[in-house]
Amino acid sequence: MRKALFLSTLALLVSSFSLLRAQAPGETRSVWDGVYTEEQAKRGETAYSKECASCHGDMLTGGESAPPLTGGVFQANWNGLTLGDLFDRIRKTMPLSKPGRLTREQDTDVLAFLLSVNKFPAGKTELYRQSEMLKEIRFETKKPAAKN
Amino acid sequence: MCLRKERERSLPCLCLVAAFGLFSVAARAQYRAKDTEWPSYAADMGGTRYRPLDQINASNFNDLEIAWRIKTDNFGDRPEYKLEGTPLMVNGVLYATAGSRRAVIALDPETGELLWIHGEHEGKRGGAAPRQLSGRGLAYWSDGVEERIFYVTPGFRLICLDAKTGSRVPSFGENGMVDLKLDDDQTISAWNNNGEWVPDLETGEIGIQSAPVVAKDTVIIGAAFREGMTPKSMRNNKGYVRGFDVRTGKRLWIFHTLPKKGELGYDTWEKGSAEYTGNTGVWTQITVDEQLGLVYLPVESPTSDFYGGHRPGNNLFGETLVCVDLKTGERKWHFQLVHHPLWDMDISSAPILADLTVDGKPVKAVAQPSKQGFLYLFDRVSGKPIWPIPEKPVEVGNVPGEWYAPTQPIPSKPPAYSRNGVAIDDLIDFTPAMRERAKEIVSKYHLGPVFTPPTVSKLEGPLGTLTMGTASGGTNWPGGSYDPETHMAYIYACNSCIEPIGLVEAPKEVSDIRYIAGAAGQPVQIMHGPGENAGADSAKPPKKRPASQYVRLDVDGLPLIKPPYGTITAINLDRGQIVWQIAHGETPDVVRNSELLKGMNIPRTGQETYNVGTLVTKTLVIAGEAQVTTTADHPRGAMLRAYDKATGKEVGAVYLPGPQSGSPMTYMIHGKQYIVVAVSGGPYSGEYIAYTLPSAGE
Repeated sequence: MRKALFLSTLALLVSSFSLLRAQAPGETRSVWDGVYTEEQAKRGETAYSKECASCHGDMLTGGESAPPLTGGVFQANWNGLTLGDLFDRIRKTMPLSKPGRLTREQDTDVLAFLLSVNKFPAGKTELYRQSEMLKEIRFETKKPAAKN
Repeated sequence: MCLRKERERSLPCLCLVAAFGLFSVAARAQYRAKDTEWPSYAADMGGTRYRPLDQINASNFNDLEIAWRIKTDNFGDRPEYKLEGTPLMVNGVLYATAGSRRAVIALDPETGELLWIHGEHEGKRGGAAPRQLSGRGLAYWSDGVEERIFYVTPGFRLICLDAKTGSRVPSFGENGMVDLKLDDDQTISAWNNNGEWVPDLETGEIGIQSAPVVAKDTVIIGAAFREGMTPKSMRNNKGYVRGFDVRTGKRLWIFHTLPKKGELGYDTWEKGSAEYTGNTGVWTQITVDEQLGLVYLPVESPTSDFYGGHRPGNNLFGETLVCVDLKTGERKWHFQLVHHPLWDMDISSAPILADLTVDGKPVKAVAQPSKQGFLYLFDRVSGKPIWPIPEKPVEVGNVPGEWYAPTQPIPSKPPAYSRNGVAIDDLIDFTPAMRERAKEIVSKYHLGPVFTPPTVSKLEGPLGTLTMGTASGGTNWPGGSYDPETHMAYIYACNSCIEPIGLVEAPKEVSDIRYIAGAAGQPVQIMHGPGENAGADSAKPPKKRPASQYVRLDVDGLPLIKPPYGTITAINLDRGQIVWQIAHGETPDVVRNSELLKGMNIPRTGQETYNVGTLVTKTLVIAGEAQVTTTADHPRGAMLRAYDKATGKEVGAVYLPGPQSGSPMTYMIHGKQYIVVAVSGGPYSGEYIAYTLPSAGE
């Protein structure tokens, strides 16, 4: 029994590792690398309007007591961190009336929407839905120089 | 079901005491706070934020290091990212509110060691509160033997604690608690599911986030509500102010900030609108002159920040500075800063007491900073303006059903210390092309000087009135600071916080108010503040809209308004003159790193933020930054900056790991001076950090 458990755990670890490798080969990525899809951002917009806009504003510019989610202040707050950090902040504390009410999928969709409004490019694959994996994606305000 | 009962029974549920013999208090005379202590929210009852300490000075500010720090994550069921408290330090103990539970903590002021903690589990009532999280602080009182701590829970209960143990004082109120939703000359009510306004102590909207004031033997409590841009109804609970006996909790007096029938000011609410209009509370810090026995109440806006069609008239005591008697609550004098409020110009910070010499004569004055960038000065005994504040004609708008005051009082002196209107000359001007782009953007809005009224939002324009010095402009809750020795006030202001105020017709199912804040072409939404009972207010179904339509009022990512974005201004109150003004805060990353500005030499711009508090010591003005930056000199973080208070020249700066989110305070104990500041925001959860100088020999 114990051996079976060990083997299945090992299998899970190996497959998770393979998944990670498959999704993030080579060097780490940043928000400039097309880490979400337009479709995902559209879903995120719907969730945002329903769950977030009443405090953060229709235009994401913040309210009297909620910070903006676009523009210089927002980007300075998160510059140099990872999408995992931003995801954790949303997941653990939002919406304020009942943190954790949204599913991980909804939170990730909202994150994709925030990226789109902040003019980070969309790509062909959807954002990861796990904090640890999102930590592989750097939030960088400044667009890196083109790679050779 | 069972859970609720258990929760109610658990009041008070947290009370961990570890006194370690620190409180072996010998009988002593009436306790008088020393100037090495910080015994009330703003240092003293006069709102000065001043301590004459000088161990930390220009020569050594850069040497400051962290003495201790305490994260507030565990003082509640979730971390808090909006820690706005200023601790007290009195009689050898530091007290603060902290965490999403608004717990009270007592710490060793030299080491940060936790001495005790107290928290209240309020269940649904706490969850429905309009003003949640840790609040701004608490109050201390002692008669020389007993020591008490007072604070108000998110659910609007006044709690009295034994300062030595953190336990409730049973002889105060009901077992150490006064239910502030009762005995308020009104029945606190809420809308039920049938659309009826019914008594409801659980979800009835009223609360407070500021610190109580204890003056002599009276505890004074104001009231706060939800944000008022998009209220669901013209009817709401009213924000009366009350005084309570510090020993028993008995209500001593009440002041009706919205006058009742027969009281002075009732007739400034035409068509009986005082009966149903609410809000008009005092949500910020209250100031007291204990010697004169006078209390200064900075009153906020009435229901519906931007539309007053349902409350015709001047609306006393909305946006009025009111002076009442400390013992009776009886009105002594008042001055309405804004007639018929339409701009969310709540009086947002503590009035400052200043004993001045004006034209060679001594004057006991009160100075009121404001969102609109005016510093209003009055003789605090008579209420007479120190310098004339004439009524001047202002623009009358054309929003259907609105009532307009034809004139507003505008101080002749001192000059406005921050921008309070939008003109073309205020727009970004790093390059002519940027100015042109900005002109194009603002062409969709109505512009004008202070008191330019809101407009109905139209797709073809105007989208609204573009304002500064309104909802989040100028000076907000952190207020100003004042040096009683030199008679200089030091006031932070947001000098670029623009607020587009457009009005849209409210659908009946959203609000019974004819117009609420909004923009043409966008879904009408009720706006919420933090910790509101968001679940009870279902948002309207969203309209689909491509992300590309989300536009900011900026020019290629740069602020629409030109620098300085945020300022500290030194004002000589004897003369009513600005002595110096500086940009406070590192240039934001978005400006400093802009490719469009490459090669340009742009002096420090300050930051666009409204919540910076200042501290004044013997020689310094000290304030942190409320935005983070990442520069060659420091990693992502903010700086706590010190300025020579005579000149405004920066003399030192120390790194903060996150934005300053509460106003700094200082104290001295056992020969060492400390500065404590609340830090939180963005990814950084709440933390109090204490700085001091290295010990000799290090």
